[in-house]
Amino acid sequence: MLITLEKLTKRFGPVTAVDGLDLEIRPGRVTGFLGPNGAGKSTTMRMILGLDRPTSGRALLNGRPYCSYGKPLLKVGSLLEAKAVHPGRTGRNHLLAMARSNGIPARRVDEVLEAVGLTGAARKRSGSYSMGMGQRLGIAGALLGDPPVVILDEPVNGLDPDGVRWIRGLMRGLAAEGRTVFVSSHLLSEMQVTADHLIVIGRGRLIADAPLDEIVAGHASLEDAYYQLTEGTTLR
Amino acid sequence: MTLLRAAIGAEWIKLWTTRTVWWALVAALVLMAAGSGQYALYANNGDLDDQGTATAGTVAVMALGFAQLAFLALAMLVMTSEFSTGTIRATLSWIPSRGRLLLAKCAVVAAVTFVTGVVAGVAGAAVATSLMDSGGGLDLTTAAKIGLYLALLGVLAVGLGAAFRGPVVTLVVLLMLVVAVPPLLQVPDIAVLNGIADAMPGVAGDHFLRDGSVVGLLILTAWAVAAAVAGRMLLMKKDA
Repeated sequence: MLITLEKLTKRFGPVTAVDGLDLEIRPGRVTGFLGPNGAGKSTTMRMILGLDRPTSGRALLNGRPYCSYGKPLLKVGSLLEAKAVHPGRTGRNHLLAMARSNGIPARRVDEVLEAVGLTGAARKRSGSYSMGMGQRLGIAGALLGDPPVVILDEPVNGLDPDGVRWIRGLMRGLAAEGRTVFVSSHLLSEMQVTADHLIVIGRGRLIADAPLDEIVAGHASLEDAYYQLTEGTTLR
Repeated sequence: MTLLRAAIGAEWIKLWTTRTVWWALVAALVLMAAGSGQYALYANNGDLDDQGTATAGTVAVMALGFAQLAFLALAMLVMTSEFSTGTIRATLSWIPSRGRLLLAKCAVVAAVTFVTGVVAGVAGAAVATSLMDSGGGLDLTTAAKIGLYLALLGVLAVGLGAAFRGPVVTLVVLLMLVVAVPPLLQVPDIAVLNGIADAMPGVAGDHFLRDGSVVGLLILTAWAVAAAVAGRMLLMKKDA
């Protein structure tokens, strides 16, 4: 399944957060989404998911906007903010409601809880979860509908080294199964070992859209390449 | 239709899986019972305006003046807690149609406030009956009217919650509309101001509850529908 951005633009008053992005994010590989704080990564992801309305342009999934899917979880799994969960609700109940909304059987909830290693804490209120556990719950939600597209915003935030390694393997595995994996991160060293393809933006504009090897070529590391690419686009 | 049913199912699970709903319902029942007991004693002492005509049903309606606050809090939290906890962004990624989400929330809140409202009405009348010298007795018609009144107030609260998003502003506006402003308008006893008060949801609902006024019911329904429509519009327009 293909993610297509067509001249995607978002303005907040005088500020242009995303500025005419034209992109195609393809299946079967991990596409890393890089850029300084305020570059427009999260806003772009939110527009793909229909949470923010583009000022102009479109974000499409196989040619259709996210909001046109009646059961979107079967197409796209996403993790934007791990803490977008009611703190008084248990992780399992959160996923049960989520599953119900898209006609996903309840047994799938226990499967994904097992897959992310949260079975033990599933019946505790999510407000008591550590950041890493919250992140795992968010990833469980992203996997719930067994979707061909997975969109993750800073998924390794708050994860311990085991968790980081686990999610790296998970993303590689999802891409190997032919899914579209679109992931933003600030951890360049992590991206260097996880991503196949990179999209770099700065101040809402596209800076690079190329295979990892191509971007890193001629530099000591992705970090060096990144600083050269984004020079002058960081905040202040 | 199946999508709406799925959305209602999800909202149903969400409603019962936080503690808030239980606290609110317990508070509503306690307020209803305590208020009914108090007004029943007033009735015995001849301290009520409609002296001699008070029944267990009318006593329950008076007690509802307190108990409705807990129902209002419950209903508006169903919408506003989405925004205060950030859950709205998760919810909209499951149910991207904002109109469908609002409809599902309205349906769940209306169903729950109707049923628990009827229960509270029966409980209030039962407490009153046990204490009243005369006029006691089970009053199912009034209990059903209380349920309907609370269901419509519930939709009003959900609609306003969708429009305002913040729990505090939503609750303040609700209390102004239902509880606070009408008595202020009625104090000078000027026809125009009384007329405005009659058109507000709390007073209109009160006329429906006490006199079975169809006009009162229609006015209250219009408020609920208007709030839901306004909520839908703003929910669609603004980013989540």
